[in-house]
Formats: sequence, C-alpha cells, structure tokens
Amino acid sequence: MMRRGALAVALFAAAAVAGAAGPASYTADPAASRLEFTGVQEGAEFKGTFRKFTAAVDFAPEALASARFDVQIDLNSLDTMDKDRDQTIRGPDLFDIAHYPTAHYVTRSFTKTATGYSAVGALTLHGVTKDVPIDFQFVAAAGKSKIEGTAKLKRLEFGVGQGDWKSTAEVKDEVKVAFSLVLKPAP
Amino acid sequence: MPNHDPPTRYSGVAQSFHWIIAALIVTQFILGWTAVDLPSGMHKLALFGRHKSVGMTVLLLAILRLLWRFKHPPPDLPPAMTPVERVLARATHIAFYVLLFAMPITGWMMSSAKNYSVSWFGLFTWPDLIGQNETAFNILKATHDYLSFILFGIAVLHVLAALKHHFWNKDDVFIRMLPFTKSEKRS
Repeated sequence: MMRRGALAVALFAAAAVAGAAGPASYTADPAASRLEFTGVQEGAEFKGTFRKFTAAVDFAPEALASARFDVQIDLNSLDTMDKDRDQTIRGPDLFDIAHYPTAHYVTRSFTKTATGYSAVGALTLHGVTKDVPIDFQFVAAAGKSKIEGTAKLKRLEFGVGQGDWKSTAEVKDEVKVAFSLVLKPAP
Repeated sequence: MPNHDPPTRYSGVAQSFHWIIAALIVTQFILGWTAVDLPSGMHKLALFGRHKSVGMTVLLLAILRLLWRFKHPPPDLPPAMTPVERVLARATHIAFYVLLFAMPITGWMMSSAKNYSVSWFGLFTWPDLIGQNETAFNILKATHDYLSFILFGIAVLHVLAALKHHFWNKDDVFIRMLPFTKSEKRS
C-alpha cells in the first residue's frame, strides 16, 4: 500500500512539473483574430481577408519544443473588397475551391529570434504541401494573449495560378500574409 | 528687342503637349474600349493596368500643359472667323481641357472605389482617392463612359474643324500646330 501511495505522489508531482513546463493550449477568438494576405496586381497592392478560419495554438515561451500551431482556413471565405476579384481567385485557375476548399497550416519547429519567434510549418494549399516559415511575436496578457506575425509565400509553388495566371507579369508570384490571433484558453 | 506681337504659331512646347497627349488619348480609347468588352481575367486586368498608367500620365501632362498655357497665350484666331465660329472653337478647346482632367480623375476615383489601386507602370502606387464603395463605382464608371463618348465626339469635331481650316478656309490654323512646318499667310 505504501509503495502504491508513493507512486501516486510521484506521478502527481511529475504531472505537476510537466504541466508547469508545458505550453498552454488556446484557440483563436474568431471575432477578434485576423488572417490577411496582400498580393500585387498591375503593380498595385491589394489586400484580402479570410473571414473564416480556426487556429489551435499550443504555446509558451519557455516550452518552444512542444509548441504547435494548427490553422484551418476556409478559402471560400476570402474577401478582397471586390466580388469580381473574389470570384476569380475562387475559380479553377487560382484557388480552385471546388476541389480544394480549405488550406491547412501546421507547425513543425519553433525558434527564438532577436525580435520574437519564428516557426517552420507545412502549408497545404491547392493540394500542394510545402514548408512556409512564419515570424511572430507573442504578447502575453491574462486571458487575452496575442500572436501577431507575418509570412511570405510564392503562389506558383502551390500551383495557385494556372493558364494565364501562371504569368507573373500582371499578378506577382509573391504573396504576403499577416495574422493577428487573439487567444482564449482551449475548451 | 522684345517682340510684343502676338505669336503666329504654337510654340514647340505647346505642339509637343498637343501631339503627345493626342497620341496618348488615342491609346486610351483603344485600351479602354478593348478592355471593357473582355471577360474578367488576366487580359482585362493587363489592359486596364496600362490604361490607368497612361491615364495618370495624361493627367500629369494636362497639369503641365495648363500651367504652360497660362504663361504662353496661344496665337490669335484668324480675323476671317465669324463670332459664332470663334465661340465654337473656344468652347471646344475649353471642353478638351475640362476632359483632360475629368477623364483621368473619374478613372482614378473608380479604381479607388473598386479597391484596385492605381499604379504608375509598376513604379509606384497612387493613393486611393475614395474608399471602397460599389454604388460610387457604378456612378463613376457610368460617368467615365459618358465622358469618353463626349471626348470622342469633340475630338471628331476638332479634327474636322482643323481640316476645314486647312482645305476650305485655306488659313494656317492647322499648320501652326504642325511641327516641322512654316506658317505662311495663306489668306
């Protein structure tokens, strides 16, 4: 009996230590969080927003080894403030949402940088999975922690641009991404 | 000895403004009227991209031309012209100047209203004049269209008038705007 009691205490202590060192789990508050992209067409930038996405975030600055972001994006929810452009991007030559309605990003590794953090993760978009690095800052606040960051990707690496849109003369290959996630504790 | 006589010919600068802007406006009609009939897609985007860059060039040249004209009055109209012809000639020229500003400005505004910012040949982006607004876009587009027909109409009138002066009246009204020629009193 004594041995079993000691084991229970030891397990509890181990769990408590792991709990303290492990990352906190959050989800992004959909109303307060933003996921934007900026493309260049005809030499002028245009911004788009994804109105629907979910983000599961495990993060604590002292536990980068077990940090993890998992983001699911509903591509149909894109909004570039122009219906014609939205429809074109949804269409078969760009996102082709009839076949690829969602994009998925999941991180693999995190590192501390001079100004914040960076992570490498795999983005699955248009049926293609490729690594995309992100840079971000973590702003801790009781009940309202925030992650703000940026990324760059090349649309053609994901096959986003078939037919005419393979050309980068009118729409540039590089697309900038910016995100701001307001975190609430995961249920 | 300063020459106080009014000039008998347009200066080289005035001729340059006239013919360069005329060539750009012909380009604008070709680009604009071709693009407007294309389906949404990259070719439409590309043609309108050029149309906007050329249009902003016309606006800049129109500003310079007007400033130049304030300092350098044009040669007098031939004394043989009737008062009605003078009013008609003057009204046409004023209408041209109004449209040289109204066309690019309504075009610039409609680009802003549709959230397609205007680039200048990819070198830099002009600021948006108004925010995204579909109703404003539709009104501005209709205005830009109507003005283009008015511009086309007075351009035809202008060319016919120049030819009438040259071949019918046999005065130097046409010749004095023509580079590399000499005006002679022909009547």
